Amino acid sequence: MAKTTYYIPVGPIHPALKEPIRVEAEVEGEKIVKVDVKRGFAHRGIEYMGMKRNAIQTLYLSERICGICSISHPYAFVIASEKALGIEAPPRAQYIRTIIAELERIHSHILWLGVIAHEIGFDPLLFWTWKGREKVLDILEAITGNRINYAMYMIGGVRRDLKESHIKALRDMITYYWEFTEHMKEVFLSDPVYKARTRGVAQLSKEMALKLNVVGPTARAAGIRMDVRQDIPYDAYADMDVKAIVPQDIVGEARGDAYDITMVRLYEIEQSLDIIEFCLDNLPEGKILAIPNYVALLNKIKKTEGEAIGAHEAPRGEVIHYLKYDGTRDGPAVWKVIAPSYNNINSWAPLLLGAEVADIPVVVAYIDPCMCCNDRVAVVEDSSGRLLDYSYLHKKAVEKTRKLEKELGVRR
Amino acid sequence: MTLKAEEILERLKERLGDAILSYEIKEYKMGVKKPRTYQEIWMEINRDAFRKAVEAIFEIDYPHLHFITGEDVGEALTMIYSFGVFHSHPWGEVSIVMKLSLPKDNPVLPTITDLMIGAETNEREIREMLGVEFEGLKNKRHLFLPDDWSEGKYPWRRDEYGVEDMIKHTHKSVREIRKQRGEQNG
Repeated sequence: MAKTTYYIPVGPIHPALKEPIRVEAEVEGEKIVKVDVKRGFAHRGIEYMGMKRNAIQTLYLSERICGICSISHPYAFVIASEKALGIEAPPRAQYIRTIIAELERIHSHILWLGVIAHEIGFDPLLFWTWKGREKVLDILEAITGNRINYAMYMIGGVRRDLKESHIKALRDMITYYWEFTEHMKEVFLSDPVYKARTRGVAQLSKEMALKLNVVGPTARAAGIRMDVRQDIPYDAYADMDVKAIVPQDIVGEARGDAYDITMVRLYEIEQSLDIIEFCLDNLPEGKILAIPNYVALLNKIKKTEGEAIGAHEAPRGEVIHYLKYDGTRDGPAVWKVIAPSYNNINSWAPLLLGAEVADIPVVVAYIDPCMCCNDRVAVVEDSSGRLLDYSYLHKKAVEKTRKLEKELGVRR
Repeated sequence: MTLKAEEILERLKERLGDAILSYEIKEYKMGVKKPRTYQEIWMEINRDAFRKAVEAIFEIDYPHLHFITGEDVGEALTMIYSFGVFHSHPWGEVSIVMKLSLPKDNPVLPTITDLMIGAETNEREIREMLGVEFEGLKNKRHLFLPDDWSEGKYPWRRDEYGVEDMIKHTHKSVREIRKQRGEQNG
């Protein structure tokens, strides 16, 4: 019998993927009949490294788990640490943390909207949405000093205060985004081509979503009202009644497809604007750190025996950290990180089955995957399979830098 | 309808009896203007009652699995499972954190993937990182570690099965490495 199926490997290195992951699909004509997802290409053993460092170093290491939502992991880490240590951040710090987290949600969601537009071949929309995203990145830079990796959080507070000028800039930003989001809603949700390309694609039922243990917008698009900010609130979220955004509240029914998830993300941007506004209107005065002396803080950690879980609703879903201080060292003895993509990638295999090859990018992008979050031993081998050690790699790096310097005429 | 942490604990006690070795309800206060509290159940159970405990949780409410993790405590492995029940209710989610001790000579647990297929990711990670075997887990391929990873090496172990000998510099500072090699700063 002649062969009827073909095998298509996508990744780990592929022009269409921004981060390394491998999807192996067997296709019969256009239809996918078998799928396998391989992850782990960006595993760096961060949890292992964290268990060798002190808590403050680990906090900033956790910020480097993800390059897009770089505040989500520190947020879960500080919540877990504060619960384990029995300390509470000053009110002002709690509000500032919430503001930064929501700013991040806005930029991350707009980033996704651009990516999905790109995946369906609508590149002008990608450039337009990302142009609009610059504003929130500028604000983040003005407040924290960086567009990404803000180093803003600290166990028991924040490191930088909000100034009057920041508050004014934030209010301007809110006005700007109300208008911009309105425009985005029109472009995405009323466009017949966008609708045709996303309706019914990557459709996840409520029951499947529960069984696959998916989180965040992926779960909400399927109609599950789950949101850490609502279920187990923390910081300023506990002062307002955050409601999970689900499609049935917007249009009456949840279908759990790529169109619904677009809707959820768009409305969540508006929700973030409301949250930031609430925080600015109610911003308490006072100090920003519970224990301003870091040596004292580390000493307290060293004397603490305790464990806790900390959760934060990141733009992609629930980030949850478990950590244990054992009273012998100033860092976590056990540290477990669960990122949203860890759970959300579960949905790929069932969703791709029966789908068409052209839908692969939409299904893959639908959950807004973040491989660096998902994968967290670096073994470098040359073509003969020999293990390359650190000193060799370092020597090679220096050689290359020197060569470039010479070619470019850089003087040291 | 949601249940309070105490009521959930009552139900678990009814089902599990002596298998619950110890328990604690932790309460955390959150919020500045109108502080409220939420609760978490932390309990240690007998390993033989593990499957029964998970089934009891699934009967109370279809949970959301937070995480599965474990720690090498010397002579045994401590496994930690965390489930969230009554999620999607404001202030209603109760986390049930369940700990059990697994002897190293027989690190086997029943799988929960038949109840929740999404748990496959978690079980495969624990299997490769800690060397815990899950009875009934269908897909046993490596998840994060490369396919040609050495057998019998588990990164989270702190004994001879650990990876201490495979890791050279990840937890040292550049200064320490230079000092070790007898290099001058610069």
